[in-house]
Amino acid sequence: MLGTDTAPGGMVGVSMMRRNFARDVFIYGAIVPLCAFAMLPLIWAGISALKPLEDVYVFPPSFSVSDPQWSNFYEAVTRLPICRFLLNSTLITLTSVMGAVLTSSMAGFALARLAFRGRKLCFAVVLVSMLIPTQVLLIPRFLLYDVLGWIDTYKPLIVPAWLGGGAFNVFLFRQFFRTIPLAMDEAACLDGATPWQTYWHVLLPIARPATVTAFLLSFVFHWQDFLDPLIYLSDFTTYPISVGLRMYQSLAGTWANLLMAASLIALVPVAVVFLLCERHIMQGLGVIRADGRREVQEP
Amino acid sequence: MMASLALSLSRNGGRLSATDFTWAGTQHYREALSIDTSHTLHPEDPWYWKLLGGKPNDPRLYTSLYNSLFYSLIAVPLGLAVSLAVALLIHRPIPGMGLARALLYLPSVLGGVATLAIWSWLLNPQVGWINRALRLTFDLLDGIVRPLTGRGTTSWPAPDWLYSPISCKPALILMHLWTTGGAMLIFIAARRRVPPELYHAAQLDGAGAFPQFRCITWPQMTPAVFFNLLVSFIFSMQSFNESYLLQNRRQNDGILFLALYVYQTAFEPPYSLGYACALAWILFAVLLLFIVPVTWTSRRWVHYVDGH
Repeated sequence: MLGTDTAPGGMVGVSMMRRNFARDVFIYGAIVPLCAFAMLPLIWAGISALKPLEDVYVFPPSFSVSDPQWSNFYEAVTRLPICRFLLNSTLITLTSVMGAVLTSSMAGFALARLAFRGRKLCFAVVLVSMLIPTQVLLIPRFLLYDVLGWIDTYKPLIVPAWLGGGAFNVFLFRQFFRTIPLAMDEAACLDGATPWQTYWHVLLPIARPATVTAFLLSFVFHWQDFLDPLIYLSDFTTYPISVGLRMYQSLAGTWANLLMAASLIALVPVAVVFLLCERHIMQGLGVIRADGRREVQEP
Repeated sequence: MMASLALSLSRNGGRLSATDFTWAGTQHYREALSIDTSHTLHPEDPWYWKLLGGKPNDPRLYTSLYNSLFYSLIAVPLGLAVSLAVALLIHRPIPGMGLARALLYLPSVLGGVATLAIWSWLLNPQVGWINRALRLTFDLLDGIVRPLTGRGTTSWPAPDWLYSPISCKPALILMHLWTTGGAMLIFIAARRRVPPELYHAAQLDGAGAFPQFRCITWPQMTPAVFFNLLVSFIFSMQSFNESYLLQNRRQNDGILFLALYVYQTAFEPPYSLGYACALAWILFAVLLLFIVPVTWTSRRWVHYVDGH
């Protein structure tokens, strides 16, 4: 917002420009170390992963690596079945994310557009359920899946995502749909579209930023989820990467460089998805106001 | 939820299954919360036992509650302050800010088992970079401090981070600060919605940077602050991965969080599912104890543009 600080013309303008320049230097001076701090663990992991095992335990630790051991990455994926874990994670994450995005956008659409009895109550329930700690539901859910015979399968990890896909995603979609002018629906209705068609052909394509944001957030959530697989899975060939890495971590005293390599490999899919989605996130999260400011229309 | 409430009032037969639950009334809550007032306090007992007036019947519950609150009440405000400051720095569309935003947001997406493993190694007291950097700083400081005071800083001890009961919580707080990118994005979005006319008007009136922040930026952004405060507090009170993955004996239960204690009670022998549910409800109650006053007072400090 350069416009905010530049006064029009003359002497004032020159001094303002000088001040802006000083300000920009200050901003860059503050941002560069912050970004370095943000990247520090990744750089550290990269360098540690390339060190030969005996160099990892040298005191004081060096900041560079003289003889990069690329074979460490190969060894990291073969010493434990990391590829298997990655495959499991991909399977669980993709099926859950599909369900989460689909069902939460449907729920958001219903809460934003359809008139039905108890809509306000439903929305209130969605909001309040964001407050409930997972621990409160942990044990009853476990017992329920136990009764259903779902323990040691992927069902407890995937099926809940298909039943609403998380209160936050529902909230996100509902808020986003409400920023879309009601005239869109009316036009579709005049053309004879059913609510289903309005949802699928009109609103969902417009709500792309919300879809991408929900996709990223649920992808991250399911990929990083640790507690659920820890509780529900016991056979280690079915482990996703999060729990699989835990097995490496207990060996950290022995193969720290391989642990770092395996951790980096586990982060690659998340980083790729993040880079693909990054452009849309600001717009997607922009609808979260939590401040009751009037949106485009009040249906 | 109702099932959870019912379970918290019942007792099971030491097996990890839905069978053999019997009614126990409020016994679990009494067991968890009661305090032995006849206990004489020793100086090495935790300081909050004095507040409680004796030795708790379940000391680990109070330890974990204390740890969770200590962590949340420091990490959350600190994290919000940092992310707000960073958001105000990089909200302007000057070159490179898009990249900076992506780099600063990335850690909050990566947070998980893998990054916890990386951090635990980065914070290693002997061979980690953090302590190496600290020692180098101490060496540099030595050149300045020694001539002035006659006492050097080279011999200052670097913290043991995850390997000591005192510094394990700061270690987790440092990791939390690393992952505050999500709050930062919401702050940036909120800052962009502040009407620029307000700043024009303030500048015409000759207001400096700080009055502009105090009278325009802060009030306009209080809704985002409120939202981020609630969300981060709820999340950090439920932190599980950190304490599960990074715990070790030398911390002396220093990062035993309530969420981990619930898990241990339920899924480690003797599988006290009913008692664990009671603990989870205590966690919920504590959460509400903090959320409800914040929400009530929010009417006074959160500024709504349209007065809704």
